[in-house]
Amino acid sequence: MSESSPDVTVIVPVVERPTSLTALYREFAAPLRQSGRSFEFVFVSYPWFRHLTDPLGELAAQGEPIRLIEAMQGVSETALLKLAAASARGAVLVTLPAYFQTEASAIPALLARVEAGADLAVAWRWPRRDSLVNRLQNRVLHLFVGGITGGRLHDVACGVRALRREVVQEVPLYGEFARFLPLLAMREGFAVEEVQSPVHPGAMRSRVYGPGVYLRRLIDVVGLLFLLKFTDKPLRFFGLIGSVLSGIGAIMLAVLFFQRLAGESLASRPMLLLAVLLMVLGIQSVALGLIGEMIVHLTASQRSRYRLRTSPARPARPEAA
Amino acid sequence: MPDPSGVTRPHLSVIVPVFNEEENVPLLVAAVREALGDGDSWELLLVDDGSTDRSAAEAAAAAAADPRVRPVELARNYGQTLAMQAGFDQARGDVVVSMDGDLQNDPSDIPRLVATLESGYDLVAGYRERRQDKLVTRKIPSWVANRIILAVTGVRIRDNGCSLKAYRRAALERMHLYSDMHRFLPAFAAATAGARITEIPVRHHPRRFGQSKYGLSRIFKLLADLLTLTMIAWFRERPLALFSIGAATAFALGLAFLGWSAVAMQRFEQASATGYVLPAATLLWLLLACYLLMLGLIGEVALRRAREAKPELLPIAVERA
Repeated sequence: MSESSPDVTVIVPVVERPTSLTALYREFAAPLRQSGRSFEFVFVSYPWFRHLTDPLGELAAQGEPIRLIEAMQGVSETALLKLAAASARGAVLVTLPAYFQTEASAIPALLARVEAGADLAVAWRWPRRDSLVNRLQNRVLHLFVGGITGGRLHDVACGVRALRREVVQEVPLYGEFARFLPLLAMREGFAVEEVQSPVHPGAMRSRVYGPGVYLRRLIDVVGLLFLLKFTDKPLRFFGLIGSVLSGIGAIMLAVLFFQRLAGESLASRPMLLLAVLLMVLGIQSVALGLIGEMIVHLTASQRSRYRLRTSPARPARPEAA
Repeated sequence: MPDPSGVTRPHLSVIVPVFNEEENVPLLVAAVREALGDGDSWELLLVDDGSTDRSAAEAAAAAAADPRVRPVELARNYGQTLAMQAGFDQARGDVVVSMDGDLQNDPSDIPRLVATLESGYDLVAGYRERRQDKLVTRKIPSWVANRIILAVTGVRIRDNGCSLKAYRRAALERMHLYSDMHRFLPAFAAATAGARITEIPVRHHPRRFGQSKYGLSRIFKLLADLLTLTMIAWFRERPLALFSIGAATAFALGLAFLGWSAVAMQRFEQASATGYVLPAATLLWLLLACYLLMLGLIGEVALRRAREAKPELLPIAVERA
């Protein structure tokens, strides 16, 4: 541990789709070594994947710059990323999925962007060779987040990224949102760029997943959109749903009321039940929104909701010299 | 408290959120300087809200030429509310004045605002006597919004949209702006800080450069924010009481439906399935009552946790001479 800190720390969270990690390491370490940057690899995984990480331990014993971190099963990928970032010694981090996404040549290109001033550079897998379903899913995601990216990012979910360490420390990351790190960093005002990178031949076979995977991703995206748009104003979301539902319910009640005036009996009309149900649902939604607003209001003083570009500690004018 | 840099702390901080106002920044600095004189008793904070033009550079240039000008640069465009909050957080004066960066407000009104504030108020709002804006897109929506705000909050401010306002530091320490709360800042200050509020007429000029950053304000968002604002007083003390009112109303409706169904059943002696509409609607109302009570309890939990994490400042109170 006594050697000077490396230029780059490559973080590999081993959570899914395991491949041969030694092959991954060899392939991605080569261009880094060629570029003359000193580096270390940090593999974070669960005890479950020891059969994959043990060969890395042997490589480390031979003197390769590899460190292994193990966390309990059930710790999220986001937490693994934060764990690895906390123990990383390089000023610049690279995140790499534990499987082949892009060619290894992407790494020096991404690092060059960060060294040139970007806070985060993400690979854009292009040209894309993927199944129609996956491409469609990607298009829909970017349609939704276009408001934040301004259409400038094309592959926010790509796991191959280079970033300054501060980004991981300052972007509020939790749950499953590490997947969308470039997007969240952009929202915090960091300079995010993308670099076109060819897809790795190992990732070329077009993959279609089970419906469960797509459902989980859909839930992730809905959660993300809510997080991005409404966390500071939950009543705008729940209030809109609530007023639409209650409004429909109220119109139905009004119709029934006029029919009653016309002499019709209401006691056996199922429409009455639906009208009441809609009103009740609407009121519930608004009440939930109010609880949300209450939490936002009560915590408003605890965290500043903006980030400054020039830190206020720096004097506005140079000290008299 | 002496400033750590050894510079004497100014008495007055003028805060101007700037978004794409490159032509206006130098004129604004000159106008403020002319209005406030050569003394050291004031500072001007130019809060750049992620401008895409040269506003930030103009602000930096102004700061280099005059040490009383301090640029604050936000990492991205956060909107006017957070830009103002950033300025409030950076302000060092005991008296803080906010105004627009588009030169439609006249800095020569600042001394009068400050004098009024010091005669015994915590917030002095300016109102534009002869407003120089387009009738249909600006004045009429503004008139409607002001009427709604007055009706809902009861805070008698005739021009909530005028940014030229003066605040005591004590009031700012008790309010933390978020969402679009700057639109009814006096009512927010009254609800959260217990601020003493008054208003005085100020001058208003037509726009010289740049584009207006507001459009027709959307009434739904305003209403949602106003609903939150009126609930804040309850949130801060007894959320359960607030939700109990809703629960009691739902319970009363349930009882009314119960009575109705009893009468209907008596009259028709129904045994068929359609006869269950009214009892079922009764149950829905009773369900809503229980649900609202439980939400109120959750509110109490949130309130308690927030107060444990950070005790609240007492509202402003002054002993009369």
